[in-house]
Amino acid sequence: MLQQTAATLLLIGFPNAGKSTFFNLLTGGNRKVSNYSGVTVDMGRADIKSDSDGGIKLKLVDLPGIYNLVPASLDEGVTVKALLNLEGKDGAQKVLMLLDWQRIEASMSLALAVKDIVGSDNIAIVINKDDSAEIDPARRSELEKKLGCRVLPLSALNASPKTVEAFIRGLDLSSQVEPVKKLQITKEALEFLPAGDHSARLAVIDDTKSITDLINWYHQKARDVLGSLSRPNDEKSRLTQKIDRIVLNPWLGGIIFAAIFYFIFDAIYSWAGPAMDLAEGVVVGMGDFVGNYLPEGHFKSLIVDGIFGGVGGVVVFLPQIMALFFLLSLLEQSGYVARAAVVTDRIMGVFGLNGKAFLPYMSGFACAIPGIMATRTIPNPRERYATLMTLPLITCSARLPVYILLIGTFVPATTVLGIFNAQTLSFFFLYFLGSIAALVIAKILRLSYFKGETGNFIIDLPLYQRPSVKTAFIQSWKKGKTFLTKAGTIILGLSILIWLLSTFPSANPELLEGKTPEQQAGISLEQSMLGTMGRTIEPVIKPIGMDWKIGVGMLVAFGARELFVSAMGTIYSLGDVDEESTPLRDKLMAETWSDTGAPVFTLATAWAILIFFVFSLQCTSTLAILRRETGGWKIPMIMFTYMGLLAYGGAYIAYNLLS
Amino acid sequence: MTLNDIKVGDTVCLDDFSHNQSVYFKLISLGLLPGDQVIVMGRAPFGGPISIKHGSETFFALRRSEALKVQVKTSTKAL
Repeated sequence: MLQQTAATLLLIGFPNAGKSTFFNLLTGGNRKVSNYSGVTVDMGRADIKSDSDGGIKLKLVDLPGIYNLVPASLDEGVTVKALLNLEGKDGAQKVLMLLDWQRIEASMSLALAVKDIVGSDNIAIVINKDDSAEIDPARRSELEKKLGCRVLPLSALNASPKTVEAFIRGLDLSSQVEPVKKLQITKEALEFLPAGDHSARLAVIDDTKSITDLINWYHQKARDVLGSLSRPNDEKSRLTQKIDRIVLNPWLGGIIFAAIFYFIFDAIYSWAGPAMDLAEGVVVGMGDFVGNYLPEGHFKSLIVDGIFGGVGGVVVFLPQIMALFFLLSLLEQSGYVARAAVVTDRIMGVFGLNGKAFLPYMSGFACAIPGIMATRTIPNPRERYATLMTLPLITCSARLPVYILLIGTFVPATTVLGIFNAQTLSFFFLYFLGSIAALVIAKILRLSYFKGETGNFIIDLPLYQRPSVKTAFIQSWKKGKTFLTKAGTIILGLSILIWLLSTFPSANPELLEGKTPEQQAGISLEQSMLGTMGRTIEPVIKPIGMDWKIGVGMLVAFGARELFVSAMGTIYSLGDVDEESTPLRDKLMAETWSDTGAPVFTLATAWAILIFFVFSLQCTSTLAILRRETGGWKIPMIMFTYMGLLAYGGAYIAYNLLS
Repeated sequence: MTLNDIKVGDTVCLDDFSHNQSVYFKLISLGLLPGDQVIVMGRAPFGGPISIKHGSETFFALRRSEALKVQVKTSTKAL
């Protein structure tokens, strides 16, 4: 007989029951956790970390939350597919049902439904959020008797992984989970499941009522099973009620919403500012230090101009990136985000979108990629596409370096209307402009190509909880690491490429004769490959106030937006002949047009660049994910084109209004 | 009487609302069953969503267009 070496466990439960927190606890993983429904939209697998040797390897699969077994959106389809093993891969040995003690009756109904499909031998129940250990041993064994399976109450936020592992190892993990009964689903639910003949595991029912009646029956049965089991204490519920009375207040709600986001942008600006100055000082100092030890020549130029100028220019934005993710994580964990969806629902409705679209848009402030993935939670495909196609207009964190660099350099830090900082306001305006453009375009799509009724909006509002600073730090650290990795790989590689292109071919020595070092540097740059490319595109970008150097920066930024900053760093470092390195900000201010001697970067040019970045789809990763999520190049190409036209048009208007 | 007619602070019982299958499906999935008591907690301005409390611990919000489809009757027993 073959010795069993591994066992797989599926994690199934309500949205926001804490599956990812539980998953992270056991696997040491960093799945994103928040306090609202629909954060996990794909499958995550990892091994359970274990100190005990000899035991079999345990693999845990984190799945998107479901309310019942009839999928109503793509993410729910992922879970049902895994439960029934529709793709016929290596199945699981156990289903771990993760119930939510705060919603015990409702989440118990799902456990009962799953139990009927796979049999009570194949499931075990974990009751999460039992923060004050209300389920005592007597209650626990009573539940186990009634349900016919093992039950473990815990609080995934502060449970010991060892206890949980012991519980799992105590289960019988030798047999494969096989459905013992066909799952009844509606015809509509089929479109969220993979194509193919699943008639052995699924029964498609025309009569929707018998399916809803069944769901109703499971809820009734869950109430019977729980019977007199005491409900969670309602202290948290009272607090939630108190906070909601303020944040969902008809008049205060909108003001609080705007204030929270203004505060976040202001914090990125004011708190992270000094940290950024420090980082900038360190980078410049290191560049000078290393430069002193290198002989004059191409190698020194590659290191100082190419790498310190390029990569260093981007790395200094690490504090801001980390600050943004830290604050977003605190906000998401608190439970406020679902309320924000309620506050903004009226506006979303005007633009033909489901209130649920707020949540993917909200993820888009961090990065378009998780935002695009999160649109899977929107059941109606037309609304989903309208959301997905406008999502990259939401200001993501990759635009931050460009915004901070240009606003910090060219917008004066004056106080407006007594309390607002002009720089923060500019920042806020760019975020606002991107968001409003997303909504307007979504409306246009909903009136034309993706015409149709708006799907229903019923959202669960989680209880408020104190956000964990530790989780926020982990999230922010993780994003910081991703950012640094990107800087150390893609941005480093492209900075070297930009340096090569802007150094070779060398200028004809005759041209350099009798010129000042400054002029020589300028001529060399113009004669290089990059200079030739830049001058070719100059006629196109001159109407929006940019010279060829900025044009080159814009061009490389189509790979990834941060590359604009690194390209500017390299190009201006080469043109800079001073012994002392200066921060990129000073170099930008010193740059002049070669023919007139007027500064290149005026307020008008800076705003033209900013507006261009608000609209343009400059991210190859986003294009790749769009292709995957929409199944072809058609949608990504349409998006690339419309966003490019908006960007150019917007920049043209901004430049001409301000100059 | 529908859920949309209820004042903030009032408690009502959900009546049978299974005639509208899509709203019914969504509500019972969340555990809101006919006969259950809910309290209207708030109404967002300009026709925004209505927030409700169900049982002692769970909170939801739904659009007015959805609330219009949910029949309710005055609660017979006090909470």
